[in-house]
Amino acid sequence: MSTSNPILLRVSNKKAYVWDIDDVAKLRVCHHICGVLAGTLPHLSQQNVFLGVPLLLMPEEVVLLVEKGLALLVDDKNAHHDPSAPALRKWDSDRLRVVERQLALAEEHEAKEALNPDRAMSEKAILKRKEREEKRARSVQPNTAETSQEIPEESLFANDSVPNLEGHSESLRAESPHRSSVTVPPQTFTSPYTIQVPGASSTFEWYDQSTHSFTTLAAAREAGIWDYPATPAEYARCGVFRDLWEQGYFMGGGIKFGGEYLVYPGDPLRYHSHFVASAIESPEAALRPLEIVAHGRLGTGTKKAHLLCEWDEDKESVTYYSIEWAGFG
Amino acid sequence: MDDALEVPRPQLPTADVQEEDQSSGDEDGGLDWTKLPKLGTAARPVIPKRGEKDFEPAAGGGSGLQLHVLDRSREAMLEALRAGRSISSKSISYGLWYPAIDRVHVITARGIHFSTMGHSATRAPPSEGMGGEAVDAQSNSIPGSKLPKRLELLPEEALYLVERGALFCYKFLSNGLPLVDSPNFEMTSPGAPMSVQQAFAEMTGRDGMTLERYQVYAYLKRLGFILMRAEPPTAEYPVAALTPLLSNRPLTQPQTFRGKLTTLFSRFASNVLSVFRLSRRSDWWKHLQLSRYRTSADIFQSLRFIPCTYSVPLPLPSVSEGKQASSSKALPFALSASPYKVFFHVYKPSTPFRKTAPPAPDFYVVVVNARTTPMPSIQELTALFDILPVMPLPPPRKRGVQPAVKNPPNSPPTDDPATKAPPGISRPSSTPGWPLSALTFLRRLLFFLPFFCPTPPAQADKLASKPTRPPNPFLALKTGKKTIVIAAVDSGSISFFRFGQGVFEEWPMA
Repeated sequence: MSTSNPILLRVSNKKAYVWDIDDVAKLRVCHHICGVLAGTLPHLSQQNVFLGVPLLLMPEEVVLLVEKGLALLVDDKNAHHDPSAPALRKWDSDRLRVVERQLALAEEHEAKEALNPDRAMSEKAILKRKEREEKRARSVQPNTAETSQEIPEESLFANDSVPNLEGHSESLRAESPHRSSVTVPPQTFTSPYTIQVPGASSTFEWYDQSTHSFTTLAAAREAGIWDYPATPAEYARCGVFRDLWEQGYFMGGGIKFGGEYLVYPGDPLRYHSHFVASAIESPEAALRPLEIVAHGRLGTGTKKAHLLCEWDEDKESVTYYSIEWAGFG
Repeated sequence: MDDALEVPRPQLPTADVQEEDQSSGDEDGGLDWTKLPKLGTAARPVIPKRGEKDFEPAAGGGSGLQLHVLDRSREAMLEALRAGRSISSKSISYGLWYPAIDRVHVITARGIHFSTMGHSATRAPPSEGMGGEAVDAQSNSIPGSKLPKRLELLPEEALYLVERGALFCYKFLSNGLPLVDSPNFEMTSPGAPMSVQQAFAEMTGRDGMTLERYQVYAYLKRLGFILMRAEPPTAEYPVAALTPLLSNRPLTQPQTFRGKLTTLFSRFASNVLSVFRLSRRSDWWKHLQLSRYRTSADIFQSLRFIPCTYSVPLPLPSVSEGKQASSSKALPFALSASPYKVFFHVYKPSTPFRKTAPPAPDFYVVVVNARTTPMPSIQELTALFDILPVMPLPPPRKRGVQPAVKNPPNSPPTDDPATKAPPGISRPSSTPGWPLSALTFLRRLLFFLPFFCPTPPAQADKLASKPTRPPNPFLALKTGKKTIVIAAVDSGSISFFRFGQGVFEEWPMA
């Protein structure tokens, strides 16, 4: 199943992203590849603890997935074709139809409210509503006065025209139609509706990856969209990553622990990592004693063992050494 | 929070501690997506704490409970990821992306974002000339005529707003579709509608904005910081106040013949001068005239005949003495290729900010790719510090025992130095206000002349030795006079490092 339906890795600027949520799930569950979420979560956009799509993959993960035939590389920038005029017209009409339906639904809802007067139309409610509106009008007035003073007439087109209203989105909304009458063409919909900013491009008719996908790294390299691995160190990293992956481990980035990867026995969502792995590019590569001290110290401090993973290009094999404090006294 | 403290706990707190011990620190993920509020349930989203983790799955891929909990976490994560970007038509902004100039023209600006983002740029109106093509032409070629200005976003600003769902971006189409002229873009799209995916594909890698830089930008923006480019990408981009970057600019410009002549002459002159200075400095007997010194600090001061300030130029690696003339030219050349360049000016959310005239930044941020960039060399760090202004010392931390001194460090000094300095507050000689900073600025300007080695700041040293030694120099030593933040990005994970230039020569321990 996985071979018949490979995961699409969208490559731009030599970075590979996954945009499809189902692919994110598939990567994690079937192929134990985690990646790093790199986007803003739209409904929690003021924090960095939880992030959203795109899922950014480490280059080693990409190399592994492509070499195993589990994924395709897509030249994302060129897969976005310019839409033809009819396609665009269709997109517009679809969009407008959605808006109209939305407005119709809202109207219907309003009508229902009107039919049911005991709640919305009771005298108490009307009084309350009026009071609220008055209060809002009072709070808006000083603000609008201020901003209209601030803006010189000639700078209406400049960025100065953006009001400096922090935390007054209410008043901003109230006055924006009035202001936009200068810069913005008249709007046809008077009542507000919801707009969806599309996330992935797969919904676009003019997005076509078929002529821009590559099944091998060599082909992608030739097309100039991908060039990892290129150096011996990068080959060693890919080799080590693949070997650990084949043993069933989950891998995450290990830069905060002084290594290349964190090695998890299960999904990092639920389990701690046991090892910090660092790749050594060949059996002849020099290893300084200070590195061993630093790795051993950091690994012990974070309750992990440090793995020195030595990649032998000729035998295509990895030898592992782990460092732990012996703990004598 | 307080309630939790008051409620008696059924179990001993030691159990809690042990569990904490088991975890391997905050860095190691431990994200619990199940604690994320469900979409549309919480009015004000609360960021949940990190969840607990197990040591490893039980044999055979995990016990039933472990698998169940893992499935729940995964489901919660995927559900959160599926959230769409929906926004009211009354609060959305519209923009048009011009790939040829790497800018987004904001057609409709709504919301508070634009008080700190975007800048105005003069562009030829699209209606003039050949359809939309004329937009690419910079108006700078026609200085006399008054051209309309428009609000434009840099790629990172546009991408951030698109990603947040605050901006709907269209891609400008150059294939002759007369869509730009259509007055009503709410009904007809003025270009190809862009998804977030397309915005990522199109906007990263443009105008110096690598993905690493964007990730740092978005990370700090999400936390509420205000970010501006350090190097103005165009002449119309607002420049931060008091930026010493400008003083550096003549160095990188190609030298004219006349300029070369003048530098040659000045180099010669300063050479001669330095010989004189050397001979004056090597008056060894001067240091033995003990009668001139009253305190031991004075003696140490005068014994220091190796100048120890940052104004002394660094020795260059692997360049012989005889070729210094060429090396002084090679130095800025080599450093210009260095990845260690200040890219963002960062302002705290509390800093009063006007985007047309940004104040001096609170932080200077360098962004590097951790995979390809080695640690900064001392030359690179020095070059960074050379362009930074001297930062004032942060106010000293108040101790509980000593009565707090009300004198803020910025207030004009009222007590004369003869009386005892107030104990709680440090009055370092390094921050006496603008006259010295102007002096250092001047010295820095002079420093760019090759071989011009200014004498160590005698005035400052004298000032330092006069008042009684400030009580705690360690804050100043730790903070340094100049601070730079280096963000190392390794495929998605960002680590911030702060480098400070120490001021050990101004806080003698003896």
